[in-house]
Amino acid sequence: MKIKVERTGGIAAITRVWTVDARTDSDLSQWQPIVEACPWDAVPSTPRAAAAAFAAPQPDRFIYSITAGQRRAALPEHALTGPWRILVDTARAAAEEAGGPLPGADTDGPA
Amino acid sequence: MHVPFCSIIPPYMLRRLAQQDAPEFSSAASAARKALGHVESFQAARSQVVPPLAPGLRPEKPGPVNRAVYDAGGDETLPGRPVREEGGPATGDASADEAYDGLGNTHRLYADAFGRDSVDGRGLKLDATVHFGKLYDNAFWNGSQMVFGDGDGDVFERFTKSVSVIGHELAHGVTQYTAGLVYRNQAGALNESMSDVFGALVEQYVKNQTTAQASWLIGEGLFTPKVQGRALRSMKAPGTAYDDDVLGKDPQPDSMDSYVRTSADNGGVHINSGIPNRAFYLVAEALGGCAWEAPGRIWYETLTNGSLPPAATFTVFARATVRAAADLFGPESPEHDAVGEAWETVKVKV
Repeated sequence: MKIKVERTGGIAAITRVWTVDARTDSDLSQWQPIVEACPWDAVPSTPRAAAAAFAAPQPDRFIYSITAGQRRAALPEHALTGPWRILVDTARAAAEEAGGPLPGADTDGPA
Repeated sequence: MHVPFCSIIPPYMLRRLAQQDAPEFSSAASAARKALGHVESFQAARSQVVPPLAPGLRPEKPGPVNRAVYDAGGDETLPGRPVREEGGPATGDASADEAYDGLGNTHRLYADAFGRDSVDGRGLKLDATVHFGKLYDNAFWNGSQMVFGDGDGDVFERFTKSVSVIGHELAHGVTQYTAGLVYRNQAGALNESMSDVFGALVEQYVKNQTTAQASWLIGEGLFTPKVQGRALRSMKAPGTAYDDDVLGKDPQPDSMDSYVRTSADNGGVHINSGIPNRAFYLVAEALGGCAWEAPGRIWYETLTNGSLPPAATFTVFARATVRAAADLFGPESPEHDAVGEAWETVKVKV
């Protein structure tokens, strides 16, 4: 299962992407609970839908687009709480440990 | 219901006459002052049909600034621990002291240049939290206060290091209390541009720079030395602020020819802001002198006079700035011409 976190917005408006490739059984057993804990059906799945769903964005805050396998979610920063925050923080830490995120428009980071 | 008031001598001309103090103009000046009194009472009556936004210019002089700085200590709970109140001594913490000074300088620009008393025009207390989050590479306005991260130390230094960033955040508050530009698509790009314009003006005011002397950069000095870039954005030359192997290239367009259609970043609010940013720079360049004077007044008037709808497009905004320039300086003035030409250069239809 590939997990990808894309962060846009912020005052600098620099897109950053963190990806994790959970391939082994051991990887999956670590990631699956974190992914399953998120209420994927309860949130918008694209940034456009998130913009429509969340009124009055706070200026200069981030917007997160998250994919895990086939699932997608998009959330403004202030709504990134609970299991979403855990998923994003864990994915960022794993991607950074593996070799650094690649900020950039549309490239994925290393596994 | 209001009665339209039409004066033969337009208000801006009456104001100029009223200010003449040479003896040979004394009766003209005094007649102009009387006429202005009539104009102002009609305008005051008329202004009651305008939505109740805080007027930019109030009859009373703006009061003193009232600031407070808080330390979130690496957590995300706001506001955090109070570390400096108005009139309090420097804390020795660079972030806290930079925020304190930045709040003061922003208040000062708005008061001195535009007669505005703080973000809401009514002396709103200015609160800032520093050390928000861990390695948090951002700053934002949350609807009631400013919040600053420390940067990640890799790409970004602490966000209080840039006066234009501090001014940018507070300007979001001013927009919230005035035109209320929706933070999406073109209106959002205008909202962002207003913050860049007034953020740049705070920095120029602090440094007492003319348009020619100013860098016109937003967030200069925020990048660490390892980044190939001078700033987050350039108002003078959108798209040239940075070009780095890791971050990529500054994506801002400098005219409608390269307008970016995207759903990222609330419809590209930080990207397409390059177009109105450049328009403001061009007005300032054409007029010379200090940009907070005529150009700043035109933009401030447009933002605060109640004529901008929250969902304004670039064209609606451009037209409003042309009208504001005519109202403030006259329809045949260099100021009015400069505004029209600026929008033509960036290819926004007026």
